[in-house]
Amino acid sequence: MSRTPALGLLLVAPALALVAALFLVPLGYSLVAAFTENGAPSLAHFRKAFELYSTDMIFTLMIVLASTVLIATLSIIISGVLTLSETGWLVAILKQLYRWPLFIPFIVAAQCMRTFLAKNGLMNNTLVAMGALDPAQTVSFLDWRGIVITFVWKQTPFVTLMLAAAMASIDRSTIEAARNLGASRPRTLIEIVLPQVAQSLMVALVLSFVTMLSVLSVPMMVAGSQPTMMTVDMAFRINAYGDYPTANALGVISYGLTALAAWFYLRHSLKEQGERI
Amino acid sequence: MLNLLKGALVTAALLAAPAALKAQTTLNVATAGDQNMVDYIKDFLGPMFEKTHPGVKVVAVGTGPGDSGSQKIYEKLSAQKAANVEKWDFDVIVAHQKMAGQMVTESLLAKYRGNIATGAMVTSATASNALGTNVEGFVMPMFQSQTAIAYNPDMVKNPPGTYAELQDWAKANPKKFGYNGIKGGMSGVAFATGWVYAFGGDADKLMKGPYDAATKAGWDNALASLKAFNQNAVITPGNAGTLDMLNRGEIALGPVWVDMFYTWLNDGKLPPNMKLKLLGPGMPGQPMYYAVPAKAAQAKLAEEFIALATSPQVQADGIVKKFNWYPGIDAKHLQGKLDDATWKKLFADLTPEDLSAKAKPFPIAPYFNDILESYEKKVAN
Repeated sequence: MSRTPALGLLLVAPALALVAALFLVPLGYSLVAAFTENGAPSLAHFRKAFELYSTDMIFTLMIVLASTVLIATLSIIISGVLTLSETGWLVAILKQLYRWPLFIPFIVAAQCMRTFLAKNGLMNNTLVAMGALDPAQTVSFLDWRGIVITFVWKQTPFVTLMLAAAMASIDRSTIEAARNLGASRPRTLIEIVLPQVAQSLMVALVLSFVTMLSVLSVPMMVAGSQPTMMTVDMAFRINAYGDYPTANALGVISYGLTALAAWFYLRHSLKEQGERI
Repeated sequence: MLNLLKGALVTAALLAAPAALKAQTTLNVATAGDQNMVDYIKDFLGPMFEKTHPGVKVVAVGTGPGDSGSQKIYEKLSAQKAANVEKWDFDVIVAHQKMAGQMVTESLLAKYRGNIATGAMVTSATASNALGTNVEGFVMPMFQSQTAIAYNPDMVKNPPGTYAELQDWAKANPKKFGYNGIKGGMSGVAFATGWVYAFGGDADKLMKGPYDAATKAGWDNALASLKAFNQNAVITPGNAGTLDMLNRGEIALGPVWVDMFYTWLNDGKLPPNMKLKLLGPGMPGQPMYYAVPAKAAQAKLAEEFIALATSPQVQADGIVKKFNWYPGIDAKHLQGKLDDATWKKLFADLTPEDLSAKAKPFPIAPYFNDILESYEKKVAN
């Protein structure tokens, strides 16, 4: 069965038009707004963005990087257990449990964390009631730690889902060979399994990184505003001053951070492809 | 036969639909502010108006809290004006001061106050001056709202009475004062503005103008001391965040909106013994305005709606009793419409004398922006 290219083009045209109208056009507008002032090209908005929000930019990058590292560690452990554990009931329970946060929107997670992590919140009250903590020792986690905890809680299942699927599809004889030769399970995980699924891990982490960079509700609801993440600054620029150019400049800086992640990913995957050839 | 029947049904439905639509006129009310503003229109004012105006349906649209909500209304009207739309989508809008001023400047609003009877009951200065813009005739204050310091008398016996005293108090009691910065809602913005009023020099000029772009250079000391003060303060997540932390006893003092404070108190979300105090020299408050867009589809109905909303009885029952705001029209018109207990409760912690001495407006719009941006530059970054 052969298809004419024209028909194919016609079929994807609505989708392409939608992408162009809803994504490319606004993106173009925001780039133009970020790089011009009164019609002339200018970097004034970027100067302003750095002058006002340099701390927040570093804060944002640190939060997202720290979260990504923690997410990677946790998801490797969880999917490692799912793949290599020989304790049936543990795998069964873990399999059911780890997906739960996937179905909870960021804003709901943030709302829950807001009361859970407070100084006199559910977590500390529980610890105090169990006698593990003294009321005077409790601290509030409603700052950068709260944001990281929420991100890790929310994104780990996503990465684990992709990673566990990838691990399930590798050739199990490699695992069995390693185990037969006496390799411990952690060693099998790190030296045999992980290198085979590195690509999937990378994709999942890059997607997580980009998602976390764009979340507004969590930093807004969980932490106070000083310092805060760039999404909050963008919203504030628009809400308080109607200042779209500087907000767009901050947006372009976000694209930059995203592009950095994408570049890492592309470099890695190209190198891998090169090795295969 | 079946097809014929189907066809007949579809035709009948098509014929009936326009008739059904005609029977009802829709009054679109767009309101900025928290969910309580939408509830107020949807559950209280709307049904009341529909009862006296058969065939009219009031639709309330919330555009979100704070100035951003008003910004969205402005953007919609501005876009419809730019596109030369004949009839604009909103009939009544409820907006904050900053954007209301801009909307008047850009001829997006109708001059209607003279057309309604309650227009003469307004005496507040904010009815003609919105952060430096002359809005006389274009707006009616819906209510007046005020920020104040909420405190728990069990934790603080003698709360500070001025910004200077608060500075010392916070040094002696680190992390017991909390506010939400300037990006988490207006109670924090009001606190920071009051700080600049207190330590930044000529506060009167900031409230009345004229604007001078060089003024902000004189705030450096005030902002440096605020940055130092922040080291001893907790930055809370939002207006509600401050109230939450007060409720859980994590902070002892914090700036709040008076109406939110009383609403939370009534709902049992705050310890019942909590109290309010106004810091000297003064803390800002603001009204919200009713206005009619210049090309509202139902301009006449819109005026009638606002007349009802600003009538003494509705101001007494809705604004004061139900939502704990201060009335938009002169309070003297409400006497006799309210029971004594409600009246006294509203003025229990903050006396009318306190309010007249220490309740300030926000600065004129360009100074307002300067204060926010200087805060971002010198305090937050």
